[in-house]
Formats: sequence, structure tokens, C-alpha cells
Amino acid sequence: MTPRARLLVFIGACACVLPAAVDVVMHMPAFGVHPLPYGDAVNRLGTAERHVTNMVSLVNFDVRGFDTLGEEFMLLCAVTGVTILLRGARGEQPTAEPGYAPGRPDVRRSAAVTAIGRVFAPLIVLFGFYVVLHAMTTPGGGFQGGVIMASGCLLIWMGDGYRSWRQMMRTEILDAAEGFGASLYAAAGLAPMVLGLPFLTNILPFGQPKDLLSGGLMLVLNAGVGFAVAGGFGVLFVEFLEETRAVPLGGGE
Amino acid sequence: MTGMLCWATVAWLLGIGLYGIVTSRNYVHLVGCLSVVQASTYLLLLGIGYRWQAGPPIFYDHPPGTPAVDPVVQALVLTDIVIGATVTALLLALVLRLHKRTGSLDAGSIRPLSR
Repeated sequence: MTPRARLLVFIGACACVLPAAVDVVMHMPAFGVHPLPYGDAVNRLGTAERHVTNMVSLVNFDVRGFDTLGEEFMLLCAVTGVTILLRGARGEQPTAEPGYAPGRPDVRRSAAVTAIGRVFAPLIVLFGFYVVLHAMTTPGGGFQGGVIMASGCLLIWMGDGYRSWRQMMRTEILDAAEGFGASLYAAAGLAPMVLGLPFLTNILPFGQPKDLLSGGLMLVLNAGVGFAVAGGFGVLFVEFLEETRAVPLGGGE
Repeated sequence: MTGMLCWATVAWLLGIGLYGIVTSRNYVHLVGCLSVVQASTYLLLLGIGYRWQAGPPIFYDHPPGTPAVDPVVQALVLTDIVIGATVTALLLALVLRLHKRTGSLDAGSIRPLSR
């Protein structure tokens, strides 16, 4: 099908769907004033029943904790897929030199960029850790904090270049963190079953509201997600940036 | 009126993303358009959970019982964003492999299973 024919089919489909879409938009519930029964129930019961103050974390790790397990394994599958597609095709050489595009000038980074990268990378990783730790009290959680931690490391790549960054990012540790996080989540779900309770029953003491260690089993689940997301996104960055290496003689494609 | 604007923006994001996918001549562009389509779901979910004069569903500074927006849809958006990012990474990895194999990113010029 030529692009032109595709566009014509698309316009035809749009012409059919548009009246229905307009009708739906006109008849949607009033914005901002319609009832939110599930959200209100969570807001009403969350702090009383589970002693946590962050309702989003409560939903993710308690109300629909089983969904998050599925999400966790989707993340694992996607990262595994990327690793197989990229690493499987080119092998693994942490010591390989960075590649240079022919015809593009190789400009040295200024000392200021390197210094900013070195100063801020640890600070941002620390901030990510803070966000993971405060999942139950203030906005944050394993997903957000894990991504912040993995992204903070990229500042080293921007400041010091590929070689130093690659030496710092140990794939064995990242792989292990990803796998450990996902299995910690699954194990925390299975632990109550050993005691004869349903999957993911919150068996640990809930603690005090506004306390860093409130939420019981949710803390374990949050730690699992933090490990898995930090490791998973770290692996993704390594796999994509390894594509920028010089292809060794006799290797690669 | 504001509400209708929100839903209309959702429909527009979905439509413009689909338009980009249909007319795309480059797989990287196509993956970007898919992200635009996905952005419409973020807006839809957050729009559903919004409530006028309500705070965040975090009861650290204000006591439980103060009006708050829906935390359920916010948790769903969180899931949506994480999965979206990893699926985008997976698609881009496929695009990279395709480019290495065929030297092209144009869906129109690549013939299936040809070398």
C-alpha cells in the first residue's frame, strides 16, 4: 500500500469515527465534579487501615499489588528483550573503545561539563535513593526513584565520556539488581502463602503514619521495585550506549 | 467547557499520533508517534481522576479526609509511564537491529525477509 493510499484509508476511517468521538466528548461526565467512588474509598481508608500517607503507593503496592507484580515482570521481559536483541547480536565487551562517526569532529569536553557531571551524578543518585525510601510518606516510590538513580549515572557518560561510564556501570551488578528486585517482589507475595494466608497479604507490622518505616509488606515490595527499575533502566542505558562503540574487527555484524 | 477541552485534547492527541503512524516513513518517527498516542491515555486517566479544589492524595501535610484527587488513576498512569518507557526501548532495539540488517528505516522500502 502506498503512503498516499494509506492516508486516504486513514482519512476515510477518521470521517467514520469523528462523529462518534465528538458525541463521546460531549457526553463525558462533567470534568472535576463527578463522583470518584474508588479513589474516595482509598483516600478514606488508606491511612486508617495501612498507616501510610502516600495513597498512590498504597494503590500500587497494596490495593492492586498483584497488578504491580505483572508490571514488574513486563519490565523484566522488555529489558530481557532489549538485551537479547542488542547484546545477543554484538557480544559483550566492556573494554571496547567508543566509536567515532566519520566526518564528525571529535571535540573535547570542557572541564566544566566534566566537573558538573561528577558533582551532580552522585547527588542525583542519592536523591533517587531518597525518593525510593520515602515511598510511603511523601510523593515517591520505587518506580520514580529507580529511574532517577539510573538516569543520574548518565551524567558521568555526558561528563567523562563512554569509557569511564562503562567502567562504572557493571552489568553483572545491574542484571543482578533487576532479577533480585523482581524475585524479591514475587517472594514477598509468596511469603504470606507459607503462613496459609492469601497472596500478598500484608503480614508485617504497619508502623506509625508519617514514619519512614510504615506500611509493612509494602516496604519490601517498594524495595523490590526500586532494585528492579534501577537495574532495568541501567541495563537499558548500557545496551543502547554500547551501540555507539567502535565495532571490533571480526566481530559484530 | 474546561472539561470538554480536556477530553477533546485526549481525542486530538490520539488522532495526531495515529496520523503520524499512518504517514510515517521512518521507524524512529513511528515509535515517537506511538508515544504521542500513549500520552493521550495519561491525559485521559488524569482528567478522569481530577477534582476541583482538591489536593494531592498524600496526607502528610494535611490530615486524611481533606478533599483529594483520585489516587487510583494516578497509580495507573505511573504504571503506564514505566511500561511505555520500556516498550519504547524494546521497539527502538528492534529498529536498531532492522537498520543494521537492511540499512534502512523506511517501512516502504523494506521488503519482508529479504536480505
